[in-house]
Amino acid sequence: MLNSKSDSAVTERTIITMKSLCKFYEMGDQTVKALDSINLDFRLNDYTAIMGPSGSGKSTLMNILGCLDTPTSGTYELNGQNVAAMDDDELAQIRNKEIGFVFQTFNLLPRLNCLRNVELPLIYAGVAPEEREERAAEALVKVGLGDRIRHKPAELSGGQIQRVAIARALINKPSIILADEPTGNLDTATSHDIMNIFGALSDAGNTIILITHEEDIAHYTRRIIRLRDGKIESDERQ
Amino acid sequence: MNLFSQRFRYETTESLKMALFQIKANKVRSFLTALGVIIGIVAITMMGTAINGIDRGFDKSLAMLGYDVVYVQKSSWSTMGQWWRYRNRPDIKTEYAGQINRIISNNPRSELVLAVAQRSTYQASAQYRDRNLDQVFALGTSHEYLQTASGELTAGRFFTGGEFSGNNMICVIGDDIASGLFPDEPALGKEVKLKNRKFRVIGVFKKQGKFLGLFSFDNQIIVPLGAFERVYGKDMFTSIRVKFKDQTHIEEAKAELTGIMRQLRKIPPDEDDDFSVNEQRAFKSQLDPIKNGIALAGIFITGMSLFVGAIGIMNITFVSVKERTREIGLRKALGARRQTILLQFLIESVMICLIGGITGLAITLLFTFAIARLVPSFPIQVSFDLIVASLTVSVITGIVSGLAPAVTASKLDPADSLRYE
Repeated sequence: MLNSKSDSAVTERTIITMKSLCKFYEMGDQTVKALDSINLDFRLNDYTAIMGPSGSGKSTLMNILGCLDTPTSGTYELNGQNVAAMDDDELAQIRNKEIGFVFQTFNLLPRLNCLRNVELPLIYAGVAPEEREERAAEALVKVGLGDRIRHKPAELSGGQIQRVAIARALINKPSIILADEPTGNLDTATSHDIMNIFGALSDAGNTIILITHEEDIAHYTRRIIRLRDGKIESDERQ
Repeated sequence: MNLFSQRFRYETTESLKMALFQIKANKVRSFLTALGVIIGIVAITMMGTAINGIDRGFDKSLAMLGYDVVYVQKSSWSTMGQWWRYRNRPDIKTEYAGQINRIISNNPRSELVLAVAQRSTYQASAQYRDRNLDQVFALGTSHEYLQTASGELTAGRFFTGGEFSGNNMICVIGDDIASGLFPDEPALGKEVKLKNRKFRVIGVFKKQGKFLGLFSFDNQIIVPLGAFERVYGKDMFTSIRVKFKDQTHIEEAKAELTGIMRQLRKIPPDEDDDFSVNEQRAFKSQLDPIKNGIALAGIFITGMSLFVGAIGIMNITFVSVKERTREIGLRKALGARRQTILLQFLIESVMICLIGGITGLAITLLFTFAIARLVPSFPIQVSFDLIVASLTVSVITGIVSGLAPAVTASKLDPADSLRYE
């Protein structure tokens, strides 16, 4: 209902494959192993939470999954494309087409109204203005904000803002939705609302990856991956 | 339309909107930033306007002298101020005019048309009743003078050949003389006194304006040559005005005239000329260094202010990049490529410069109109080229000053930028 990927949900196609993926940072004369030989698969319609204490590497993993960063070594295949070997502009294109981001701090542009915020990815995809507006309005209706499309973020509540951000993440029909602590700045009731939206998105066939450190949030998902010291500590499907 | 150009168009539209928004949202800051460019463009356009004006004023003045007239004189115009070089030359005789005319008429292929002699003084005084004008330019010449000079009559007529040979005591006066001596009455028929000799006014010239803002043809009294000599004697400054056929054949005309003069003076081939053939271009070549000096100083000042302006814009664009780090990160996360971000900040700095440039132009235009209103004789001229040039300079300043910050922005790491507080 919330997205159109549902028709292909029956096939459990693997859309992300990571093999011996490493990310090292040089800190002075020390090498920090933020991710150390990670092997991971995500299948279509997976609904996953990535958990771990701070410093466990979950942010680094999120950045690499979101093509915001590239691994030091290893392979990362997204929809059959080797992302690890791409340059900046190719990565930008992948982010635009394949990934929908939802951030803890929402990251809406305050001077743009909801509609303009939601249509941003479509500008970078080269979609014509009329179609952009139409699709953005449609996406806002889907997250329950059909009556707020001309409002600016400052005129909305935290939960509403996050729903705008979710609409923006959905607008370009991405392969995965990547949510980094999406309820981190929200109260319990609103968090529950937002998680229900993710649940519905998952039911509609979307592939969702959540980063969180809250157990109760993680339990909305069907798979929990725990990281510690750059390694996978556990990977459980429920 | 292919995806690439379509995307480029939409991204550019978005960047333009964003730039306008940024400028509107930070009005004071944008104004202060643009100030350097405003000052620079005002300097550029003012300088250009002044040079244009000087040029135009000069051309207007030269047109008064006549483009198709050269002057045979004792000294050269192009080396004015070196009178000692010409001191020992023999005086120019008024008889040369008739002799030159005879030689011309015997040569059907001559480039020359007519020679007219004149004697003149800048130190004449003209009186009418109790009114007195000093520093009047008195000129004695023939009835053919008008064929070699510009100037129309608003009243009366020029003197005739009969009046010329009869040395009649009559005069044709410039507009300033007419209004100076006869402010409330028509000048025609009145008698003007030059050194206590009475000259009857038979014609008044139309106002011509000043030559180079110094000498004015409106300040002249033209009388028959014989009458002039009766008043001022034969020692006054003498020239032969020679009109030639074709402005483009000035060199040939000068060469022919030089040959005739050498023949008249019987100068042996191995000796230098003891006269000069002057043309209005000589003035122009004297003016060029002044004009270049103004231009050079102007370019320097303009360059400095634009440079300072550019640094200001660069600085503020760097601040803007810093302030909007998260926005840059977000845009990149949503699919903006490097060039998209680069373009966005470039457009912003170019827009500030362009607004500054247009403001500067407007200020200059206002100044120009004000000056033209208050001091109509001041030569001033705004040209289309100047407008194009200053807008081009604004855009280039915008690109130059915005490039470094824009490149910095485009290279920002998206993951770090998103986390930037």
